[in-house]
Amino acid sequence: MVQIFATFEHSASLELAISSLEKNGVSKENIFAVPLTNRAAERRLFDTIHSEDGISLLGTGAALATAFAVVGASVGFRLAWGPIYWGLIGTGGGFLLGLLIDLFYYKVVKKQQHLLRGKNSEVILIVECKEEQSDTVESILWHHFAFGLARIESN
Amino acid sequence: MDNLRNNENKFRRYKAHVSIAGTTQLHLRNPYIIAWWSAAFPGFGHLILSKYLRGLVLFVWEVIVNYNAKINVAMVYSFCGEIGSAKQVIEPRWMLMYIPVYLFGIWDSYRTCVDMNKVSLLAEREDAPINSYTIGALEINYLDKRVPIMSVLWSTFMPGLGQLHIHRLLTAFFSLIWTIVFLYFSKTLVAVHYLFDGDITKSTSVLDKQWLMYMPSMWGFAVYDSYINTVENNKLYEWEQRNFLIKKFQSPEFKIKKGKVVS
Repeated sequence: MVQIFATFEHSASLELAISSLEKNGVSKENIFAVPLTNRAAERRLFDTIHSEDGISLLGTGAALATAFAVVGASVGFRLAWGPIYWGLIGTGGGFLLGLLIDLFYYKVVKKQQHLLRGKNSEVILIVECKEEQSDTVESILWHHFAFGLARIESN
Repeated sequence: MDNLRNNENKFRRYKAHVSIAGTTQLHLRNPYIIAWWSAAFPGFGHLILSKYLRGLVLFVWEVIVNYNAKINVAMVYSFCGEIGSAKQVIEPRWMLMYIPVYLFGIWDSYRTCVDMNKVSLLAEREDAPINSYTIGALEINYLDKRVPIMSVLWSTFMPGLGQLHIHRLLTAFFSLIWTIVFLYFSKTLVAVHYLFDGDITKSTSVLDKQWLMYMPSMWGFAVYDSYINTVENNKLYEWEQRNFLIKKFQSPEFKIKKGKVVS
């Protein structure tokens, strides 16, 4: 028997990979999934699809952008460039100010740890199969975006 | 048709519900940010909290009473320093009724947010299972991961599209319809057209102050709401899949074997 280790992120592809394995004759009992807890310090200021956090730079930015846009567009009726340009300037200025406030807060006041960049391995998947199945299993895992693979042979 | 019916009532609190109209979710929110959105536009704070009926009523109330009291026009004049014009334009038959409801919106959304944060913590600790999938005659909705920045981008082009991106249908339809109303009556796009021609004076004069001043909050809200909900939906997806994997793919018979890595 062979055991194949693979790492994945949480995604629909992972479930597709598992169901493909089952279709190809690997039984449920021979698939072992280990969802990982990712490093807690991993707080990204701009959230992505891979790692998210409610704390982000958008909250204060969006709030101030709206506030400054209202004031900018209002005062814009008297200024040479008119309300639309001043509204947009207000939006950009407010957002930048909010960004700087949050950056200052998270970088200086709260001094957070190093950020984990890019995609993270969130699940370890271990598949036990016969030696002749192992090539199929590996190609299924690769096709469903496994980050890394290792095949373990035991005598 | 949902893939999990919690009608046995075994659990006290559920942290999310996947329905035809969208994914409703409890998660921690900053009450000051919620209060701010209610101040920017009554109803927005409640809409972010997924309290749609209160939110929609407050929103429509704001449009009607603000329009008749001419709060927005008075605000423009005040910011321009033309206090005389501001006094003149404001409509006393409507103005005083604006204040209590405006303040109520801020206060109530703040209070609700603090309350819901407690409920959300309790639901998080109880860790009750949720349905992750629903299919019906009109729509299909399921937990999924989406790219947050795409929500921001589409909301910037047109408020409501970011919400459509993440299947938040009530806010999406609502934002789309009201944005059309605001853009049409404020003549914003006509003004933009004149700006492309380089005619700033004409562009300014064509704008309707009352209707224009509804727009900044509409835009800000649409971007913020679609963004945070995309992020939270992604987190919910990961939580649900994690529980699924632990439940189905951790057989006690499974043994890790010693051996050698072969390439």
